[in-house]
Amino acid sequence: MDFEQIYNQYSPQIFRVCMGYVNDYEQAKDLTQETFISVWRNLSTFRNQSKISTWIFRIATNNCLRALEKNSRITKVELPFHLPDVPEETQEDKLTFLYNCIAELEEIDRIIISLVLEDLPQAEIAAIVGLSHGNIRIKVHRIKDKLATKFKDHGQFE
Amino acid sequence: MDNLNDLKAIWLTAKTDSLPDSHEMVHIIRKFRNKKLLKIVALVITMILLIGIMIWVIFVYKSTMLSTRFGEAFIIISGIIFVSTNLNSLLRFYKLRVCSNKEFLQFLEQTRLRQQFYYRRTQVVAMAFCATGLLAYLYEGAYKNTMLFIGAYTGTVLYLLVLWFVVRPRVFKKEEKKINAQIEKLESISKQINNDEI
Repeated sequence: MDFEQIYNQYSPQIFRVCMGYVNDYEQAKDLTQETFISVWRNLSTFRNQSKISTWIFRIATNNCLRALEKNSRITKVELPFHLPDVPEETQEDKLTFLYNCIAELEEIDRIIISLVLEDLPQAEIAAIVGLSHGNIRIKVHRIKDKLATKFKDHGQFE
Repeated sequence: MDNLNDLKAIWLTAKTDSLPDSHEMVHIIRKFRNKKLLKIVALVITMILLIGIMIWVIFVYKSTMLSTRFGEAFIIISGIIFVSTNLNSLLRFYKLRVCSNKEFLQFLEQTRLRQQFYYRRTQVVAMAFCATGLLAYLYEGAYKNTMLFIGAYTGTVLYLLVLWFVVRPRVFKKEEKKINAQIEKLESISKQINNDEI
């Protein structure tokens, strides 16, 4: 698999995961770029010991974790207690709400749910995060509950 | 609408078309220069050059005074401390982020602790060697001429005092605050992984 193929296949996924973590469009773009700089530089050393997706998502999520050192632009938005009833929310509103809900989670939970939403198998998420499959299963369950509560609390998209 | 499939459907609506295409990305990567990394490389090269010059001086200028020999040795030792510390940090920088998040967090925490140690101990020791070396090295050239002696030592001592009591504490305070905040944050993220382990 060459770099261009990898980039075309994974860049949208990496961008969404970074966006889930930082909730900031420009920073997510920067992190995506940094991820592919690392991929480009180290592609020749990739030895197929893990899946290429695991390798790339590890680089991306570690970059996200490192982002805390660079600045504190990670956007946490206080969700309003009661949102007014809007006749029809746009897809963009729904997405913004989802990002804001994710931004309220702890860092590792943000990474896990972003990978879940990217449809990665739980075994692969476990390899990326460094937890056992069992732990990931429990965590995913808890995060889903937290998100569901947030969605219910705010009466969104019911 | 709160089940996972609905969330996935919303998640996938994120617009990614403003990302550069693969050709643009290759162009960006080729142009990319890591400024922080370049700064460390420049520092290491400068220090190696200075050590080289100092060794060259030892062979060219054959001093008979012990103070000059001590001065040269101390300055070289301080240079070696700076080079080895910065080379070490360069090598760590190149350690690829392909490990799991858990291992990477441990690596980051360790790096920050090493940085803290650098500011608290290594830098102090290297600066002490360098300052002592400089003062000892100047003696032979200046001791015969009182005016030169006073001028050289006043200037050097003033410079060292400013460096030691003004510049260093300021940099140390700023860096230490930043590093402590990072360590605290990293510890809180590590807890999120470690506390839930079965």
